[in-house]
Amino acid sequence: MERIRKKTVNTRGAILFAFNSSKYNYADMAVYTARRIKSFLDLPTTLVTDVDSLKTISADINVFDSIIEVEPDLSNIKEQTSWINKGRYQAYELSPYEETLLIDVDYLVNSDTLLKTFDLSDTFCCHSNTHMLMHPEAAQEKMGYSYETLWATVIMFKKSERAKQIFDTLQMVQDNYEHYAGIHSFIGGVYRNDYGLTIALKIVNGHTDVPSDYIPWNLVHVGKNTSVYANEVDVQVPTDGNVFDFNTEFTIMFDHWKKSKVRKEYMLIKDMDFHVMNKDLFVEIMNG
Amino acid sequence: MGVLFTMDTTKLIKDAKARFSHNSAKAYLKEKYKSKLVIAEQGGLWNADAQTIGFLNSFSDETLVVIDTFDNPVKVDRTQLLESLTKTYNNVMTEWNSEWKELERKR
Repeated sequence: MERIRKKTVNTRGAILFAFNSSKYNYADMAVYTARRIKSFLDLPTTLVTDVDSLKTISADINVFDSIIEVEPDLSNIKEQTSWINKGRYQAYELSPYEETLLIDVDYLVNSDTLLKTFDLSDTFCCHSNTHMLMHPEAAQEKMGYSYETLWATVIMFKKSERAKQIFDTLQMVQDNYEHYAGIHSFIGGVYRNDYGLTIALKIVNGHTDVPSDYIPWNLVHVGKNTSVYANEVDVQVPTDGNVFDFNTEFTIMFDHWKKSKVRKEYMLIKDMDFHVMNKDLFVEIMNG
Repeated sequence: MGVLFTMDTTKLIKDAKARFSHNSAKAYLKEKYKSKLVIAEQGGLWNADAQTIGFLNSFSDETLVVIDTFDNPVKVDRTQLLESLTKTYNNVMTEWNSEWKELERKR
């Protein structure tokens, strides 16, 4: 049973799920991401977490509009340790907002682009395509031998029967993940929200595509063999204050392997949102 | 937050003897501005691109049914939509051009 710390009624907001693992403090990442959401999107953020993760937050938790404590589902094991990423389907019921952005905590908000997603659909939308920085020709990821993967990194949903149906189906898929792994020929075991979402949305849509479910631009990843470094530090005003002037310029570096030799390539980006697959790099950016 | 130093990215690039990837930078710019060209108006979702603007310009009717990016036939006030798309196109393309010129200087 969840416990809600504080709650205000807002039309729009963001919701973040953060449960610490033995390796990463996701709750601290959520604080950083919530600050960026406030700065660039001017939206309140609700944090969904567990009591142990909440205790570890070293920064000011007032950045959150609400904090919802839930019982963590520890059943997902990755690299011999619990990776608490199940239960994302609860976003629909837990969100205090009429219109919600459900964002992964390792997504770096650098612009107001996500505000446009509220205009895209009356119910639900997510990314269906990706762009790998420094690797623009990379193929889209497939879920086993089945569908191309949809991405749960950024989801916009509005309180509606259809959105509820999608999240209810996501729960059903999570509960029967091994069964769907068999049907779609992917390796089960470790639950992936992206796969869960792909299957759930396809079921709801009768295994067809509904164009308005897909955000019409790509989810930008910093992926394999690629590093990202902040060009400047984020500035807190005053030094212990609540206003942040966030850096939006980054250097992206890529290890180009050819005949067992690596050649480094780089480029600079600015004012663009991206998802950091390597959590260590995200933590480095977060900590300056 | 609150740490007094940052990664010196210029030194990092120099030490790694990294080569600037012009093609990746060009692709990134396209990706970045693609999202900025999308606008929602009059019940449809539109790309402020040359094709849509050219199409709207080729008619003189006050209202028109146009297929939007979600493949929906939407009845629109042609002049109003044309005006919005042209404005968005000009603003976004000016920014894109400016960043692209900066990129070209790195050649």
